[in-house]
Amino acid sequence: MRELTYGQGIKEGMRIKMLENPDVFIFGEDVGLFGGCFGVTSGLFEEFGEKRVRDTPISEGAIIGAAVGAAAVGLRPIPELMFVDFATVGMDQLVNQAAKMRYMFGGKLKLPMVVRLPSGGGVAAAAQHSQSLEAWFTHVPGLKVVYPSNAQDAIGLMLTAIDDDNPVIYLENKTLYAVPGQVEDEVKPIPLGKANIKREGNDVTIITYGKQVYDSLKAAEMLEKDGIDAEVIDLRSLYPLDKEAIFESVKKTHKVVIVSEEAKRGSYAGELAAIIADECFYECDAPIKRVCALNTPIPFSGNLEAYVLPNADDVVEAVKSLF
Amino acid sequence: MKISNETIIEMYEKMVKIRKFENRAMNLFAEGQVGGFVHLYIGEEAVATGVCASLRDDDYITSTHRGHGHILAKGGDMKYMMAELFGKESGYCKGKGGSMHIADATKGILGANGIVGAGHNIAVGAGLAAQYKGTDQVCACFFGDASTNQSTFHEGLNLASTWKLPVIFICENNGYGISVSQARHQNITDISQRAVSYNIPGITVDGNDVFAVFEAVQEAVARARKGQGPTLIECKTYRWRGHFEGDPTVYRPEGELEQWKKKDPIPRAEKYILDNQVMTQAEMDQLNAKIDAEVEEAVEFAQASKFPDVASAVLDVYTDIVEEGRTR
Amino acid sequence: MNSIGIIANPASGKDIRRLVSHATVIDNNEKINIVERIILGAQQNGVKKVYMMPDPYNMGYRVEDKLKTSGELKCEIEVFDFYKEDTVEDTYKAVQMMNEKNVGCIVTLGGDGTNRAVAKDIQEIPLISISTGTNNVYPDMIEGTIAGIAAAVVASHQFDKAAYSNRDKIIEIETAGQLKDIALIDAVISRDIFVGSRAIWKVEDIEKIFVARSHPASIGFSAVVGGKTIITEADDFGAYVSIDKNAPKIKIPMAAGIVLPIGTSEPVILNFGEKHETTTYCRGTIALDGEREIEFHQNQTFIFKISRNGPWHVDVKKAIEVGQQNGFFTV
Ligand SMILES: Cc1ncc(C[n+]2csc(CCOP(=O)(O)OP(=O)(O)O)c2C)c(N)n1
Ligand SMILES: [Mg+2]
Repeated sequence: MRELTYGQGIKEGMRIKMLENPDVFIFGEDVGLFGGCFGVTSGLFEEFGEKRVRDTPISEGAIIGAAVGAAAVGLRPIPELMFVDFATVGMDQLVNQAAKMRYMFGGKLKLPMVVRLPSGGGVAAAAQHSQSLEAWFTHVPGLKVVYPSNAQDAIGLMLTAIDDDNPVIYLENKTLYAVPGQVEDEVKPIPLGKANIKREGNDVTIITYGKQVYDSLKAAEMLEKDGIDAEVIDLRSLYPLDKEAIFESVKKTHKVVIVSEEAKRGSYAGELAAIIADECFYECDAPIKRVCALNTPIPFSGNLEAYVLPNADDVVEAVKSLF
Repeated sequence: MKISNETIIEMYEKMVKIRKFENRAMNLFAEGQVGGFVHLYIGEEAVATGVCASLRDDDYITSTHRGHGHILAKGGDMKYMMAELFGKESGYCKGKGGSMHIADATKGILGANGIVGAGHNIAVGAGLAAQYKGTDQVCACFFGDASTNQSTFHEGLNLASTWKLPVIFICENNGYGISVSQARHQNITDISQRAVSYNIPGITVDGNDVFAVFEAVQEAVARARKGQGPTLIECKTYRWRGHFEGDPTVYRPEGELEQWKKKDPIPRAEKYILDNQVMTQAEMDQLNAKIDAEVEEAVEFAQASKFPDVASAVLDVYTDIVEEGRTR
Repeated sequence: MNSIGIIANPASGKDIRRLVSHATVIDNNEKINIVERIILGAQQNGVKKVYMMPDPYNMGYRVEDKLKTSGELKCEIEVFDFYKEDTVEDTYKAVQMMNEKNVGCIVTLGGDGTNRAVAKDIQEIPLISISTGTNNVYPDMIEGTIAGIAAAVVASHQFDKAAYSNRDKIIEIETAGQLKDIALIDAVISRDIFVGSRAIWKVEDIEKIFVARSHPASIGFSAVVGGKTIITEADDFGAYVSIDKNAPKIKIPMAAGIVLPIGTSEPVILNFGEKHETTTYCRGTIALDGEREIEFHQNQTFIFKISRNGPWHVDVKKAIEVGQQNGFFTV
């Protein structure tokens, strides 16, 4: 075992594949010598050179579009957008092109690309640099979506994502970059669609991913003091989704709280709730609860932002409301 | 060019205001009193100042992530700006926007913007409204060199040209988009030449010479007010600080900053003012002292203000709907 | 070894006159194309080395790269390696180095302003000027290939330069007992109070116009004098006029697409050696060859003189004729 931060884990995953396969390359704004706005690609430019770690102009449409084109003809690009919020600018290329080409063309194409998108609030970056847009991506048939919460998963998911022949949206939480974690010496690829039970429990199932894994674990500890034994599931992969792990847990606990940082309306958390209601309703003996951000843009001021974003207390409160 | 001493003094005052405000913001950030992303305008003061001196109060501007200078130049109030940097309730955006999103609709400031390239077409829309209503207002659209690689730049110029809209596109070419030098983000050096493809005038001026900027913008504004359409003005300049506060600027060649510091727009204006007796040294010192006091007052105002009440978080998402808050 | 120097001004062809008149944009890619043709024309005729001024767009390296990639480059291109100020200082420095390298000919791409900067220190090196600026009187509209061929003839040192070039006149401007600056075509005293965007176009602010030559078929301030009298390059004198609102007006092409009625005093001839002294009564600027260069305030005295201290300006056609007559092009 060794210690790596979440950011280093992401880098490690890319690096392993770049060493292995010359078709894997990185491009995006300031990913080169600067090492990326959050330092995730630092050192890769020096190691692999500017052919494989490329700075692009500020042209999100071109970044995603060029990845689509390069992937269509056989490379395995890893485009990075500096913030998930800028995916809006490249959305046509992602939604109308990347997600649909294979299907429209009758399965004649493969699009092996991994789009890295730093997400989430908590750094006083205000409304246009703090969003959690996973529901947009999970909504689009043709895209796979992963969201690691720790260094080990960051590596494992990256390895699989790069090897995947479909476009994979790789969401990262920017408050986690510096968070250290224990990592196996040789990390194995983590299959997409395989959730991780972070904490076993019998009384309630907390389904979450990304940064909210930490809030949920903290909430579980607090709940324990009140005699509530919570199970915490880190989905890791939002699509494909590990329904089995979810249903297994619900069958055991019969109560569900879903935690995400998205604005609640139209969130992926809502989709999860709907799936459970649809397919596992009779196992539930309480309403399915969502703990999300408020339905507002993310405000700048620290106290407002903290109020809008969900935290461990909100999870505790939601869980308690079920008992 | 006929230009009164009052205008010259006004422009000088604006530039000094911007410089002093930014220096103070820089220190406050270093002290941890101000957080988030702060992009400073130090070194580029002549651009915003020269542009806004050619605008009326009822004209519009669109700004960028590097917006403090634009806002001060268009008449923004330092107190409310500073309070916004602190995230206070008394700030321009009631603490919801921060440095990157300051706006003042009463002054025609359509907002600083966190999305690179977003302003181009918002400016086009403001120009469209002026044309639609038959007023002779114009909109000055500020943007950086690196933003001209966004499709919005091309779409905006094309639409403004086709519809002959009263928009002055002001490119602040400071040679970088974050760490990527112009040579590495586009295969041209003079962004003004992009105007040719859209059949509008495009010129390059010394962006560190407030008079050069002023003069060019005067002409472009006059043209726009007469219904002759948009102009692209490229102002060559340089940012002295990192892209944002905290940027180690490893990408700068040695000596580059020092070279540009020699072209500091403020001493250039000072020299002109003293040489031509527009002001005496004593008057100039007095003005500087006045601005120092104003900046301090703004900081005190910001510090003394309250943080917004959390209940305000759910207001202003819409004009009418108030979103649900938290129970905690 | 036959060598030439090329100074392509990266700043020409994009100033405010695209906004205030109908001037054309000449972007740096077009200049690169011209430089390419100069080099190709010159190397075919014996030029082995081309020195170039560095510039922010790296025109020299771009040309070298292009011609190497296409396999056409036969001569050597050396872009001077000095710290670029990205101002006229680069031109001064490049001219000085071209003098040190003893180049046979300097070719400029730019406007009157570019050539004025080159003229300051070019000394005895013959000059070929290609127009890539605005409102130009000094440089010629010539095809790059032809300019390159003429440059090769000149750089061969086989012919007497008097056979194809003349020494130009200049206007010398002195103040406080020192040479302050020069102009090749015209110097204008204006009430425009700052240098600002440099180009000068506001006729209502003009006080006096000095010219080294004048013709009604040229464009800009020298045409104002040209409207009254023609002074050729050969004449050993220049002239000046004062703008006079009450004088009868003549229609003058002042800038691209701009023809204005202008009233002036009768031209006063300034012979070589004669000095015209003027003391300013308000703030203003002196524009040299169309660009505001000198800011002045009240009570400053300037002296204007005409001399033949300018560069050896090559008549491209004549140079090629001399080559042809002497079998220079025979394979
Ligand atoms: C759509 C979008 N892409 C990327 C960014 C990240 N970003 C913020 S500022 C910036 C550089 C902008 O450079 P330029 O337009 O030249 O303005 P400057 O910062 O030099 O004033 C980048 C890449 C962003 N905010 N929005
Ligand atoms: Mg820039």
